Amino acid sequence: MEIGRRMLKATWGYDGNLEPLSEVEDKEDAILVTFDLPGVRKENVEIYTTEDTVEIMAKMSDAVCWERWGGIQKRITFQAFRKQIRLPEKIEPEKAAASFKNGILRITLPKIRGKVLINIA
Amino acid sequence: MEEVVRIVEEERIEYKNPIVIEGLPDVGLVGTIAASYIVEKMGYKEIGYIESDLFPPVMVIHDGKLKCPFGIYGNGGVIVLLSEVVVPPNAVYPLTRALAEWIKEIGAKLVIPITGLPVENRVDISKPGVFAVGNSEEAVKELKDKQMELLEEGFIAGTYAIMLRECRKRDLNAISLLAQCFPVYPDPGAAASAIESLEKFLKLGIDVGELLEKGEGIKLKARDLMRQINLSAPEMQKGVEQDMPIMYR
Repeated sequence: MEIGRRMLKATWGYDGNLEPLSEVEDKEDAILVTFDLPGVRKENVEIYTTEDTVEIMAKMSDAVCWERWGGIQKRITFQAFRKQIRLPEKIEPEKAAASFKNGILRITLPKIRGKVLINIA
Repeated sequence: MEEVVRIVEEERIEYKNPIVIEGLPDVGLVGTIAASYIVEKMGYKEIGYIESDLFPPVMVIHDGKLKCPFGIYGNGGVIVLLSEVVVPPNAVYPLTRALAEWIKEIGAKLVIPITGLPVENRVDISKPGVFAVGNSEEAVKELKDKQMELLEEGFIAGTYAIMLRECRKRDLNAISLLAQCFPVYPDPGAAASAIESLEKFLKLGIDVGELLEKGEGIKLKARDLMRQINLSAPEMQKGVEQDMPIMYR
């Protein structure tokens, strides 16, 4: 059902925003989220996190206009990427770290509770 | 009995033992990006298409003309198979059987499926490496002669993997080129590396400069197809490519 819904949802909006491709990986003590942001410079990326969400807004250096595509969306212009992701576990927003290289944004979000060593009785 | 996969040649051309390049959507969209760039740069015309009741009920419109999204391009010496839609897992076997049959019929001398090899640290790799898999002793010898780096152990999964097998069953030499790529993002850089390696087998003289220059625009246009690939990857058993075979030596 979830896949069906995702397949039906367009990855663009009339507000001029495109949904970027993204990936969420569980890295034991942290959640690693990456975004593919072609045409974006580091200084134009904004990242917001809460305990259970991460949201990015990234302005493209040059707006993209697709003039002949589709019917209703003909001549549509996109100038930014925008996406909010609900995280699979709670994280510590203050300890989040990010890097940007070759159009790929990597955000490391440490989990609220790290590993706990359990002694065997 | 009606054929499950139909290869329709709209234009009769005289084949001269062609080399067949296969660029189907897969990880990093390496094959699709490389094949479309080759078709564009070489000015290959569409000579046919492939249809099947197993494919998604989708047609594509280019320049106002209705087209089948799975096209056959080229000339007597080079054939390029290019799809703009994902091949569903249940279509892989009938498709590769039909393609290998047809490729045998036209007297092709070599089949080269181009695809990606996902690597986690791709962002740190400035020029992706290209690995190769041959489907016969002769094909492997050719790879060694051309000093290609061989994929020596591991699993391969997807249409290209079965294509290698179906070609071998028909004594057709096939060589798959796998360029290091982003696992879930379109990768024009990997496609450029694959095209450069292709030059060792087929002297097309294609300059990949424009592909690298327009890479960001290509990534933008390829988002939706990449998303479909990512959704179908588990069913296509792509995860197995990261596994070690039990008979590893």
